Amino acid sequence: MNSRILGLAAGLAVLFASTLSTSASWAQSITVAIGSEPSTLDPQLRDDGGERQVNDNIYEALMARTATGELVPGLAAEAPTQVDARTWQFKLREGIKFHNGEPFNADAVVASVQRVIDPANSSEQMAYLGPLSGAEKIDERTVRIITSAPDPILPARMYWLKMIPAGYSKDAAIAEKPVGTGPYRFGNWDRGNSITLTVNPDYWGGEPQIDEVAYRFVTEAGTRLSGLMAGEFDVIVNLLPEFAGSVPQAKSVSGLDTSVIILGVDNPAVKDVRVRRALNMAIDRGSLAESLFAGNAKVTKGQLVLPGAFGYNDGLESWPYDPAGAKKLIEEAGATGTTINLVGEAGRWLKDRELIEAVAAYWTEVGLKVNVEILEFSVYLDRIFDMGNRPDSYFVLNSNELFDADREMAFAYEPGQGGASNSDKALGEAIRAARSEVDVEKRKAAYAAITKKLHEEAYDVPLLNHQDIYGMSERMEWQPRVDAKIIVKEMKVNE
Amino acid sequence: MLEFIVRRLFQGILVVFGVTATVFVVTRLVGDPVALMLPLSATEAQRAAFAQQIGLDQPIVTQFLRFVGDIATLDFGNSLWQRRPAIEVVFERLPNTLLLIAAGLGAAVMLSIPLGAVSALRPGGLVDRLTMSVGLLGLAMPQFWLGLVAIVIFAVTLKWLPTSGMGTAAHLVLPALTLSLTPLARFTMMVRASMIDELNKPYVKTARAKGLGLTRILRVHTLRNILVPFLSISGWELISTLSGYTVVVETVFAWPGLGLTAVQAIQRGDLFLMQAIVFVIAFLIVLIGIVLDILSKAVDPRMELN
Repeated sequence: MNSRILGLAAGLAVLFASTLSTSASWAQSITVAIGSEPSTLDPQLRDDGGERQVNDNIYEALMARTATGELVPGLAAEAPTQVDARTWQFKLREGIKFHNGEPFNADAVVASVQRVIDPANSSEQMAYLGPLSGAEKIDERTVRIITSAPDPILPARMYWLKMIPAGYSKDAAIAEKPVGTGPYRFGNWDRGNSITLTVNPDYWGGEPQIDEVAYRFVTEAGTRLSGLMAGEFDVIVNLLPEFAGSVPQAKSVSGLDTSVIILGVDNPAVKDVRVRRALNMAIDRGSLAESLFAGNAKVTKGQLVLPGAFGYNDGLESWPYDPAGAKKLIEEAGATGTTINLVGEAGRWLKDRELIEAVAAYWTEVGLKVNVEILEFSVYLDRIFDMGNRPDSYFVLNSNELFDADREMAFAYEPGQGGASNSDKALGEAIRAARSEVDVEKRKAAYAAITKKLHEEAYDVPLLNHQDIYGMSERMEWQPRVDAKIIVKEMKVNE
Repeated sequence: MLEFIVRRLFQGILVVFGVTATVFVVTRLVGDPVALMLPLSATEAQRAAFAQQIGLDQPIVTQFLRFVGDIATLDFGNSLWQRRPAIEVVFERLPNTLLLIAAGLGAAVMLSIPLGAVSALRPGGLVDRLTMSVGLLGLAMPQFWLGLVAIVIFAVTLKWLPTSGMGTAAHLVLPALTLSLTPLARFTMMVRASMIDELNKPYVKTARAKGLGLTRILRVHTLRNILVPFLSISGWELISTLSGYTVVVETVFAWPGLGLTAVQAIQRGDLFLMQAIVFVIAFLIVLIGIVLDILSKAVDPRMELN
């Protein structure tokens, strides 16, 4: 009898002790406040930041990036090899299953590619996937991705394309109940209010510390801040720089966005390269970064290309702040008193109006007249995409999600494309050649030459590299990523 | 009565159609919706292909004829933003907005009548001056700011209520109160002014001379007399709330209603969702107008319906 009691007591003690020792792994749940509700949870259709912020934890792609931006294999077992100029071969990791039990294999890759390129799906993500034109199964673990033109940045594009299960990809439910291979499984979507995910205990990369994550959709920055201060949220996005000092934790990290003013180099007002250089020298970028962004922005190094992106030119220097020199250049060019129109928008991007007005003021100080046109966003888009009538200058915040200089080239400089404001045929040739150059070193050299020319000829006025600022509760431990993805498996809760 | 309803409904349909058609034209003339939807870096070819897929490459007249045909069957097309039927999104969010309005305007109506009446009984008294000051404040303060201040006080500092979102009854309190303050101020002032007016009328003096108690005079005669102007001003406030205040309040409190959805639809250039929202709101406003006329007639049978 006694021994049984003793045994029971011992058993209880062991139980108790084991509970204590595992207390660190008690169900942990966090709440993340994002700026907008996902439009859909289909991972392949929309270009939607809210959708990505949730689905980046449910789905994975063939390639991934480290927190510092390095491209590494994701669902692929190793870096892809190039079969010919238009074909890349990927080896897949073994033994990975989707949350619904379907295997991740070559069929899943083929189905994912075919679905996203299907014109019937009119996927907005094709803007990131470029010449992607098909996929071919070699065997269960080997697949080839085919492009319609040589595409050196295909591996980077494959970091964008989320892999979906072959069978489930045909089910309309995919828009509401996502099924991926990632560290979190879809839980519940309370439309308009929240989405919850639960940890995937079978995750191939090891089980994350946080068991449950709830996303709340809060558009208003002040309301997100209040929720953080009230202890309702653990992580909030896009914290306003002026509040960074008043939250429990604020972390900023170099982001994807660069502000720039693109100059209409064919327009009489800015045709003279001396004037364009003066426009650059007239601006005190350092004090803009300090006063408008409380230091959460860095002065660009003489180019629009995102630091860390392929093709970024380390050899260029920031434009100096030299108003006297700028004034002199403008006088030499006989341009004193010239009117320059500056097209912009307000409210789309953080402190956009303030930046535009500050730039106009700097330009006025060196002897120019500036006609600022702040337009409603869709009118603004019409204006900057109107190839027949280029503004002397326009403000834009460029985002480089693929970490490749071709993003900036295709949008801002290739004549006739995107928002380019020049008719420089040689520049267009150089950009197109670099786009399809598959030799890495040659391609790097090509961008070095292009960025140098753009800088010397002052085709633009690059302003600031903007940082992403996150607010966090006291108990969170997380280093935000340079690619702006919010990856919950990288977070820890200290309690 | 039936003839009146039919006539008003017919007029209403014309109004709703006119408003929706205006939205249709304006959204297509002001800016290119395709550029709004695709990433800035999309190529010219990608934008053209996308326009074709959603039918925006057709001449505006063709688009309009198709639109009119579809609208007759309540088909507003798929929301470009949410990739599901636009009307489904509207009907999903509308009840949340109606709940918020019912709570906010309900509170305003309930509070304004006693407040206005008490103020009117002793103009210039303490209650009156207090009510008027708060009322002026309510009219002067933008709801946006008011909402944020309420969050800081009641949610962040006192931690009595949640900061935002929808779920429990507690979630409803701050947005509803924020929404109610402007209508409350307007109602109270209106009740007060009409009451002062009424109380000076000979019939009240006669009634009092005959020995009737003040409460009874208020309840049986005076309040009934101010009900008609009260109805019309509350109809006006209901319309302003539905078509304006909720946009602000829902944004501040992340309340998943139609107002917030409208803002997002505009930001994303979602023409089809915008059209559906405007159609439903315009329809509701017409309906409110008809119901108010009927109610006024019920309260004051002398009124002519026309």
